[in-house]
Amino acid sequence: MISFIRFADNLSAWFGKAFAWLILLMSIGTGYEVFVRYVLNNPTAWALDVSFIMYGTLFMMGGAYTLSRGGHVRGDFLYRLFQPRTQGMIDLVLYIIFFFPGVTALILAGWKYAARSWSYGEVSVNSPAGVPIYQFKAVIVAAGILLFIQGIAQVCRCLIAIRSNYWLEAEEDVFETEDLMMREANKAEKGHLT
Amino acid sequence: MTDPQIALMMLGLFIVFVFLGFPIAFTLMAMGIGFGYYAYFDARRMWRSFDRLEETAGPWEQWSTWIDGFFNNRIFDLFVNQTFTVMSNEVLTAVPLFLFMGYIVERSNIVDRLFTTLNIASKNIPGSMGVAALITCALFATATGIVGAVVTLMGLLALPAMLKARYDPSFAAGIICAGGTLGILIPPSIMLIVYAAATNVSIVRLYAAALLPGLTLVGLYLIYIIGRSLLQPSSAPRPTADEVPDMPMGKLLLMIATSFLPLAFLIFAVLGSILFGLATPTEAASIGALGGIFLAFIYRAMTWQRMRESVYLTVRTTAMVCWLFVGSYTFSAVFSYLGGEHVISEFVQSLNLSPIMFLILAQLIIFLLGWPLEWSEIIIIFVPIFLPLLAVFEIDPLFFGILVALNLQTSFLTPPMAMSAYYLKGIAPPELRLTQIFAGVMPFLFCVILSMVLMYVFPQIVFYLPEVFYGG
Amino acid sequence: QAPIVIKMQTSWNDANIWQDFARDYATRVEEMSGGRLKVDVLPAGAVVAAFQVLDAVNDGLIDAAHSVPVYWYGKNKAASLFGTGPVFGGSATTMLSWFYEGGGQELYNELTQDIMGLDVVGYMGFPMFAQPFGWFKEEVNTVDDLQGFKYRTVGLAADLMAKLGMSVAQLPGGEIVPAMERGVIDAFEFNNPSSDKDFGAQDVAKNYYLSSYHQASESFEFLFSKMFFEDLDSDLQAILKYGVEAVSTANTAKAMNRYSADLQFLQNEAGVSVKRTSKEILDAQLKAWDELIPELESDPFMKKTLDSQREWVDRVAYYELMNSPDYGLAYEHYFPGKIKL
Ligand code: NA
Ligand code: NA
Repeated sequence: MISFIRFADNLSAWFGKAFAWLILLMSIGTGYEVFVRYVLNNPTAWALDVSFIMYGTLFMMGGAYTLSRGGHVRGDFLYRLFQPRTQGMIDLVLYIIFFFPGVTALILAGWKYAARSWSYGEVSVNSPAGVPIYQFKAVIVAAGILLFIQGIAQVCRCLIAIRSNYWLEAEEDVFETEDLMMREANKAEKGHLT
Repeated sequence: MTDPQIALMMLGLFIVFVFLGFPIAFTLMAMGIGFGYYAYFDARRMWRSFDRLEETAGPWEQWSTWIDGFFNNRIFDLFVNQTFTVMSNEVLTAVPLFLFMGYIVERSNIVDRLFTTLNIASKNIPGSMGVAALITCALFATATGIVGAVVTLMGLLALPAMLKARYDPSFAAGIICAGGTLGILIPPSIMLIVYAAATNVSIVRLYAAALLPGLTLVGLYLIYIIGRSLLQPSSAPRPTADEVPDMPMGKLLLMIATSFLPLAFLIFAVLGSILFGLATPTEAASIGALGGIFLAFIYRAMTWQRMRESVYLTVRTTAMVCWLFVGSYTFSAVFSYLGGEHVISEFVQSLNLSPIMFLILAQLIIFLLGWPLEWSEIIIIFVPIFLPLLAVFEIDPLFFGILVALNLQTSFLTPPMAMSAYYLKGIAPPELRLTQIFAGVMPFLFCVILSMVLMYVFPQIVFYLPEVFYGG
Repeated sequence: QAPIVIKMQTSWNDANIWQDFARDYATRVEEMSGGRLKVDVLPAGAVVAAFQVLDAVNDGLIDAAHSVPVYWYGKNKAASLFGTGPVFGGSATTMLSWFYEGGGQELYNELTQDIMGLDVVGYMGFPMFAQPFGWFKEEVNTVDDLQGFKYRTVGLAADLMAKLGMSVAQLPGGEIVPAMERGVIDAFEFNNPSSDKDFGAQDVAKNYYLSSYHQASESFEFLFSKMFFEDLDSDLQAILKYGVEAVSTANTAKAMNRYSADLQFLQNEAGVSVKRTSKEILDAQLKAWDELIPELESDPFMKKTLDSQREWVDRVAYYELMNSPDYGLAYEHYFPGKIKL
C-alpha cells in the first residue's frame, strides 16, 4: 500500500512538474507577442489561443500533483481539530462518494468529448490561424486518469490514517515561503528547548 | 418537492458539506453531479437502448445494457463541457502568470532592502517604523499578491525590528497582518481577476476602479498608525540612532534608487500598460513575470532552485484556484438549470428591501462568510449567487466588486480562519500571543469598514478612474 | 397535461435584441401548440458558454439552441458556408431560399449528420441584413487607408480582412469596446445598428460604414437535439419546424423597425457619421474572396457546396436583379436628396 502511494505521488508530481514549465513558455510566448506587436507592428494571430491552451493544460495536469500535496483548499476549521483517524474516516467516505464519480466522468465522458473533437480535427474559432484544440480537449482525459490514480492513493492514505491514526504525507519538494518560515521557526523553537 | 426547492436544498447541503473539510473543489463537483443526475434524469432517454433490445438478447447483454443506461445521464457531459469552459477562459489565463511573477518577486531578496530603505527615509515621521512597515507591505504585496509570503517575510524582518524599538507588540502585529493582506485588493490583484471571471465584469475596469479605494485604505491605515503614535507615543517610540542609523542624503537616495524604484517601476509597468491600453492583463502579467526574473538576476537572487520553486508553486496554486472554478461552474449550471437563481431572486424581492439595505445585507453575509472561509471560495461560489440580484436593486457589479474586495480584506483577519494572524503567529516569537495579534488587528478592521462606508458615500472614488480611462 | 418544456439556449446575452428574436419563436410555438409545448429561452452561459451550444445540443444538455453556424466553424470550416461564405451576388434571402429550395438543407444535413456524425436537426431562419463593414475612428475610403489596422471580426471574414491588409485581432464580443478604448484594436464590425448601439460602439468610434461583402448572407441557426425532436408527436415536430419559417417573417419585421430606428439614433443623436463603404474597398473584398475560394475548394465537400451555391445564385439572382425595379430611384423621387449611394 505504501509503495503504491509513493508511486502515485511520484507519478502525479512528475506530470504536474513537467507541465508546470509551461508557465515559463507562456511568459516568453506572451512577451514575444507584445514585442512583435509594438516593435515590429506585426501581431501574431495565434498568441491568444496558445496562451489559453498552455494555461488550461497547466492547471489540469497539475490537479493530481496538487491533490497529492494537500494543496486543494478545504473548509477545514472544524476538520483540523479532529484526530487523523476521524479525518481519515470522513475523507474515505467522501473520496468514494464525492471524488470518484466526477473523476470517472472526466475520463469516460471526457473521452467521448475529446474523441468527437479529434474526429473533425477541431481548431479554435478565435483566430484565422486555425490553432488546433482537439489535443487540448484530450487533456481532460489525461487529467482525469492522473486524478483517478492519485485518488486511489488518497484512499490508501485514509486507510492508513484510520488504522494508525497518522497521516502518511507526500515527500515535500517545495514549500510556500510562509510554510518554510513557519517550519524553520518551529525547528528553532524546539532546538531552543532541548 | 419542486425543482427550485431542490436547488435550495443543494445549496444548503453544500454549505453543510463544506464543513466536513473535504477539498471544496471536489465537494462542489460532487454536488453538481449528484443534483445534476436528478435534474437530467430521463429514464426514457437513459434506457433507450435497453428498451430497444432485440427479444433474442441474452441475459448478459440485457444486464450490461441496463447498467449502461444508469451511466447514460447527460450530467456527465455537462460536467466535461463546463470543465472545458474553464480551460478556455481567457480572463483566467492571467492567473498563473501573476502568480509566477509573485513567486519570483517574493524570492528576489527585495523586501529587506525595501524595508531598510523606507525605515531610514521615514525616520522623522511619528511611528516611523510602523509607517515604513506598512508601506513596504503595501508595495511588496502589490507586486506579489501572495498574502502568506508578505506576512511571514515581514514578520521575520519588521516585527523583530519594531519589538526591539519597544513598539507595542499588538500594534506592530496588526500593522503587518493588515498591510500584508493589501495585495489581494491593490491591482494587479489575482482576486480581481477571479471576480472578473466569476461575474463577467471587465477586468481592466475593475483594475481602474480598485486603484483609488486601495490607496484610500492604505491612507486610512497610515492615518491610524501616525495618529496612534502621536496620541500614545509609548506604543511607537522613536527609534534610536543605533536602531535606525543616520544616513547621508546621497547614500539614502542611492538606496531608494536600488530598492524602491525598481519594484515601483515593475508595478507601474504592469499596471500602467493595462490601464493605458498597451496590453491585456495576460500580456502585462507575462511582462511582469519576465521583469521579476530580470530583477532577481540583478539582485543576484535568481538561482536554479528558486526558479524551480516558483514554477512548481505556480502550478499548485493555479490548480487550486482553477479546479475550484471547475467545481463551481458545474455546480452553478445545475443550480440555474433547476431554477435556483430564480427562486432566490424572488425571495429577496419579496423582502421589499431598499437597495442600501440589500447592499448592507449582502456585505454582511460576505463578511460573515469570511470568518470560516477564504476569498477564493467566497468569490467563486457565493458572489455569483448575489449577481442576478444586483440588477434588481440597480447596483453596478463593478461597484459591488470593489466593496467585496475591500470586505474580503477582513476574511484574512477574522477568526476562526484568520490566515494572516496564523502566519504571523507561526513565525513570531512565542511571547506574542494570538489574542494580542487579534487585538492589534481590530482597529484595522474598523478602517476597512470605514473605507466601505466612504465608497458608498463617495462612489466617485470607485468610478472616477474607470470613467477617465474608458468613459462612462 | 403539463406542457413539454424545451430548454433553448441562445448564443446571445439577455440585453441583445436577438434574445427578443428567440422569444418571438417561443411565443409562436407555444400558441400554435395550444400550450402543449413551452420553450424556455435561456441566455448564453445559462447552461453552457455561447460557443458550446452545438456540443450541448448534440449531448442533450439543452434541447435546442438559437445561434449561427459560424460559431462552430472551428469544428468544420464548411460551417461558414451556411451564412458567411463568399457573396456571388445573392442576398441573405437568396441564400435562405437556397437552403430550403436549392439543396442547401441536404448539404447541411450531410455535413452535420453524416460527415460530423452529430445528433442534431437544424433549420435556418431570419435572413439577416448584410452586415456593415463596421466602425472606424477615422474615415476610410481606399484600401491604403486600411493598411496595418487591427480589426475585429469572426469566421471566414477574418481570412478575408487579413487579405485586405488588416491584422485581424480576435476578441470575444464583450471585450470589443474596452479593447477599442485601450487601443488594442483600431476598428471592428459586429452585426447590425441595434446590437452595435446596445454595446456602445458609438462611444469609441464615429465612422460607421454600411454595406460589405464579408458577411452578407447570414441567417440564424435553430438547432434541436435529434433524439429529443424525433420523440415528439409528428404535429409538434411540424410546429417546431414551421415555427422557424413563421418567426423568420416576424424577426424580419422587427429588425426592419428596430435596426432602422437605431441607425437614425446613431446618426442624429449619437453624432455618428454613417456612410457607405467605397467601391474601391468593395472591389478589393471581391478580389480577396477570389483568392480565398480556391483555398476553400481544396476540400471536396466545400467544393460541392460552393458549386451548388454558385449554380443557384447564377440563376436566381439573375432573375432577382433583372426583375427588381430601381428602388433607389423611387426613394429619391419621394424623399429627394436624402440618400447618397
Ligand atoms: Na476569516
Ligand atoms: Na459580423
